[in-house]
Amino acid sequence: METRQQGLPLFSAVLVLIAILVVIQLWLVAAAVDALMARQTTVLVPTAIASIGLFALSGGLLWYVMSFDARLRHWNRRG
Amino acid sequence: MADDRPRWREDFPVRWDEDNYMTRRELAKFMTLGSGLLAGVSGLVAFIGITGRIPTTPITRIAAADEIPPGGSLLFRYPTDEDPCILVRDASGKLDAFSQVCTHLSCAIVHRPDEQALACPCHKGSFSSSDGRPLAGPPTRRLPRIVIEQRGAEIMATGIEV
Repeated sequence: METRQQGLPLFSAVLVLIAILVVIQLWLVAAAVDALMARQTTVLVPTAIASIGLFALSGGLLWYVMSFDARLRHWNRRG
Repeated sequence: MADDRPRWREDFPVRWDEDNYMTRRELAKFMTLGSGLLAGVSGLVAFIGITGRIPTTPITRIAAADEIPPGGSLLFRYPTDEDPCILVRDASGKLDAFSQVCTHLSCAIVHRPDEQALACPCHKGSFSSSDGRPLAGPPTRRLPRIVIEQRGAEIMATGIEV
């Protein structure tokens, strides 16, 4: 059963993780634009795949924490 | 208990601190949205790169090969008339070309053959005339190199290496 005591640090940790992933994505976008300007097109596709993967990870983390929150509310209503 | 709130609060009940308050849930959603936008930008950059929609650089004649003596230099414009560049020949006869725009604050650089350098007179910046790397002064980024080719007796500019 989920408790609010579990939820607070979980939410904070997920928030920090998503922030780190966004910073990595920013770096990837900067590197991709730099490579495009230098016409080094071989790195562009791996960069895009990595960025989309990081977005999927961020989305997964958000989904997990939102579903945790929903379960917590559900238990609170019942109990 | 007496209500000590000012009367104007009844007419303007919105509290600024509450209005600006953002929950962790909202912040997580906002950052995930930003993550999606960045993924989209990366995809767009890859699409532009793959489909070859980057503006291509023209092949332009710069000068005749015998026009520049060892230690000499020649100014030209590439890839457009708005982009000043410099072609230098060192003492051994090797040719190199660079953007003439200083990477510090965009002043025009000049050739100093005795120092084998390209110098910026504005802030005393200096670049190597063989590879464009910064040697002294405030510039930290190298000069963009103009790719040149000798075709017969002509020197042609074919691209830019940023």
